Amino acid sequence: MSYYDIDSILTDAEKIPCTFQLDIPDLGYLDNTPNQPLKAGTKVNLPLWLAEMLVIANTGGPDNKTFVTFDLPRALGNDVVQALKADPRAVPLRDQSAHFYGLATHMMDLSEEQELGSVLRKTFVTRAAEISLHARKVGGGGSKGKGKDEGSNLGIGGAGEDFLRGLDEWERKLFRKAHDGAKSGKEWMESIKKN
Amino acid sequence: MALPLPLGLTHSEVAFLAEMELVTVVPRQRLESIDLLSGKTPPLRPPHRTDLPLWLALLLKKQRRANIVPPPWLHPASLAEIVHRETKVHPSSFSEPMPTSSRARQSQPGYAGRIGGNNNSDNGNGEVILSPPFQSNCTSSAPAGYLPYHWLEVAEALITHAGDDLGGNTSEIRGLLRDLVEVRAAKMRDSAETLGAEGTGGVVSLRGVGAMELAENRGFVLGVVDGVRKIGGAVETARREREEEMDLGGGGYGDGDSDDDMGI
Repeated sequence: MSYYDIDSILTDAEKIPCTFQLDIPDLGYLDNTPNQPLKAGTKVNLPLWLAEMLVIANTGGPDNKTFVTFDLPRALGNDVVQALKADPRAVPLRDQSAHFYGLATHMMDLSEEQELGSVLRKTFVTRAAEISLHARKVGGGGSKGKGKDEGSNLGIGGAGEDFLRGLDEWERKLFRKAHDGAKSGKEWMESIKKN
Repeated sequence: MALPLPLGLTHSEVAFLAEMELVTVVPRQRLESIDLLSGKTPPLRPPHRTDLPLWLALLLKKQRRANIVPPPWLHPASLAEIVHRETKVHPSSFSEPMPTSSRARQSQPGYAGRIGGNNNSDNGNGEVILSPPFQSNCTSSAPAGYLPYHWLEVAEALITHAGDDLGGNTSEIRGLLRDLVEVRAAKMRDSAETLGAEGTGGVVSLRGVGAMELAENRGFVLGVVDGVRKIGGAVETARREREEEMDLGGGGYGDGDSDDDMGI
């Protein structure tokens, strides 16, 4: 990921739930109680960049006592994972997080979640095939209303639109790439007939 | 940030390259050999068939100085056979690319010679491996039943500019080409899904895919591979660390290999 990658920056701003295990003086403002120490056991939503640093920082303690632990964010919670296992296409990932995959890969770096990896992989490729299908369809009907939209009963409108609204940023990029490819293919086809 | 140029060739660039393919023409007028940068064109003598680059053939065709002999694979029967093979016989893989000319000996079926071994007289000097623009894939001597690398471009160009040379059934050919495009696009989509299957190593065979299809799907396929690589990255690092802890001299199953596979 590039330093200037806006998606990477926005992914770092996603909040993840953390629990402090120790009393920490002067950090009360994180929990809306300024001028008081942060009590042990408080749950605070911290941005990913901060949580990541804290989690990495406290691994080397001699007594193995960590001062902060984190849970998976709701976007990667059990409900979502179960739904993804059932049917990846039916889950609007954007409602969970606009940077769903970015968040998920970050979280997998931090915690060892074997199952999450394979579920995500399955989800990504299944949805990618669907994205490609929609990208071709939109290219057929959307460009100039050309006659070549056979099978458009699957595409635009209805379920298709819902699905496309639920794409996260990675998938939107993928859609754009697939769409650009299909579109320039159509343009070339038309240009041949002209000259 | 780098310039936002897309990776690889665009459609018009691919179509431009496809014009280097040799096609067979039947000249109607004499034309002396032309000294071009790419070499001399053969002189045209009216009744004799000659192989010319597609762009020159189309130029002569537009001036009504030559007729183009369509390549055998563009015949409706051949196209229908390929559609049948793509849909019924091998519904999950792309049809075989055109064999190299030394392997396609119709006189001796099943005989496989060395590539370039017993070829045309001009390049019979041992191991010459010809890549698509220089292989006579679109001349009248090409085998039927296979799609060459530039199949879509050459077919579209011939249909548009030399429709009357195709035996009057351009609409049938056009329909079959549409079928092929759709079938193969669907396979390209499904290839994305096989990437996610555990255990296959995440590699998709794109053997037999044409240049235009590559140009169209490059962004998408690379995007999918990249996404799978990123998702698998964390798991992969964890696995590698575990393996290193367990056995340092594991050998055989090189980690570097699997990494290369993912980054096609």
